[in-house]
Amino acid sequence: MRVRGVAIEDTFAEAFTMRVARVIITAGSLRWAREAALKMTGFATSVIGCKCEAGIERALTEAETPDGRPGISVLLLTLSKDDLSQRLIERIGQTVLTCPTTSCFDGLPEAAERVRVGSALRLFGDGFQGSKVIGGRRFWRIPVMEGEFLVEEKFGLQKGIGGGNFLILASTADAALAAAEAGVNAIAGVPGVILPFPGGVVRSGSKVGSRRVKGMIASTNDAFCPTLRVVTTTALPETVNSVLEIVVDGTDVDAVSRALRLGIEAACGDGVVAISAGNFGGKLGPHHFYLRRIMSAEAMAS
Amino acid sequence: MTPEATLTLRAPLRQRVDASTVAWATLTGLMATEIGAQKAWVEGEGSARLGDLFDIRGAPAPRIRLVGDLALLDGIGTGLAAGEIVVEGDAGWHLGRGMSGGLIEVRGNVGPHAGAAEPGAKRGITGGEIIVRGSAGRQLGAGLRRGLIVVEGDADAGAGRAMLAGSIVVFGRIGPDPGLWSKRGSIVAFGALTPPTSYRYACTYRPPHLSVTLTYLKARRGVPITPERLTGLYRRYSGDLAELGAGEILAWIP
Repeated sequence: MRVRGVAIEDTFAEAFTMRVARVIITAGSLRWAREAALKMTGFATSVIGCKCEAGIERALTEAETPDGRPGISVLLLTLSKDDLSQRLIERIGQTVLTCPTTSCFDGLPEAAERVRVGSALRLFGDGFQGSKVIGGRRFWRIPVMEGEFLVEEKFGLQKGIGGGNFLILASTADAALAAAEAGVNAIAGVPGVILPFPGGVVRSGSKVGSRRVKGMIASTNDAFCPTLRVVTTTALPETVNSVLEIVVDGTDVDAVSRALRLGIEAACGDGVVAISAGNFGGKLGPHHFYLRRIMSAEAMAS
Repeated sequence: MTPEATLTLRAPLRQRVDASTVAWATLTGLMATEIGAQKAWVEGEGSARLGDLFDIRGAPAPRIRLVGDLALLDGIGTGLAAGEIVVEGDAGWHLGRGMSGGLIEVRGNVGPHAGAAEPGAKRGITGGEIIVRGSAGRQLGAGLRRGLIVVEGDADAGAGRAMLAGSIVVFGRIGPDPGLWSKRGSIVAFGALTPPTSYRYACTYRPPHLSVTLTYLKARRGVPITPERLTGLYRRYSGDLAELGAGEILAWIP
């Protein structure tokens, strides 16, 4: 299969079930909502070292937020419900509570499972905090030097997907980066997904475990490293000199599939030799995104 | 559109009628004949069936609509826990007595003690919403424990008296002594108001919870909220300092 001359390899992206929360950050202006969101989603590329994965889903208009102010929607994913609660308390407490003009709301109000967030952060109010129930939802008012910080008591969570991905195999590093940027731009704003890595792009894809260090969770994906072509079992065609990966986390299979489809379609440009995907033989993650099926759906849809 | 049962007043009321004996909490699940069999108490005459007072159609339904001048009908919505009651006109005293949930909308004026504690009791309604498109009589939300009361017109003396929590939002003028003896809770004033002497000015700011409340009222309850009110500044008065002092009056600065 080819898309604009770029080979789509017959393989699949292997992804994992995670727990996901959607956090709505509003502020006096979109600028300050974004400042808080950027801090909240910082150092959240991979659960391997960051304990969570997080990113900005999209900007929200005044009509889409609970308080009629501009906002940013953030998705945060962890491997367990307990982890999710702790990460939300830490990150909202340190990055949103501290940011001027912000308020913080649950973006999954219909979710059956819920974790306490505001009810933990309220203790910062040192007994001066108060709560309000509005439309059946409880909010905590925490007095701060600027005025008040408003945060929802509980946040919904649901099963989500982490680790959807595709690999861009290119003839040059510049071509790989240009293709990755195009892919990221195409995915930007797709509801239900985030790209947790810097600028949405990963240059250091990993394999499970290590050849040398016992107990190491992950190490470099040598099969896709061009400099190792002659000293390891390579997965790279002769003409490939650089590989970049786009990792997609999301709320559900359909959202991740749609993002992968849009990203791959946009990434198939000049200098790109092939599109592949990272997997572990299908033994670790329950979600398998077969590239050719995804792109066939695109062909059918278009 | 929400299915509704309609109770239309057969003839104008000539004396007060106490409808607090009606099982308002279960009314939405009853057939028209069962609603008609509910008893009210007519001043000077004694017990009367709702079916004698109202023409009843469309039950059972999650919304009960009362049509007519019901300024003499007291205790509408007593004990309501869920569902909606819409009053197409004025309503009498003690609206929503003992209410714990649901919604009562009055498209006219409402008499004294709406959402308030029963005589001799400390706690008013413990949940739900009361929306009054007109004005409200004295002691609106007195002893309010939880819930939201909105009055698009004026509120007479004693609004939020001894309230324990919850919110009262008034778009018109508020009479003397709002929030007197309150422990917690919020009174939001868009019109003229004089805080009791046991309240003290704290600061001028934009209360973030109020943005959520007003956005909710505009989107879900059709309350006319202008952008100036949504983004405006409010003077915060803390009180009642003779009590717990955790209550507030938020006075909008036009």
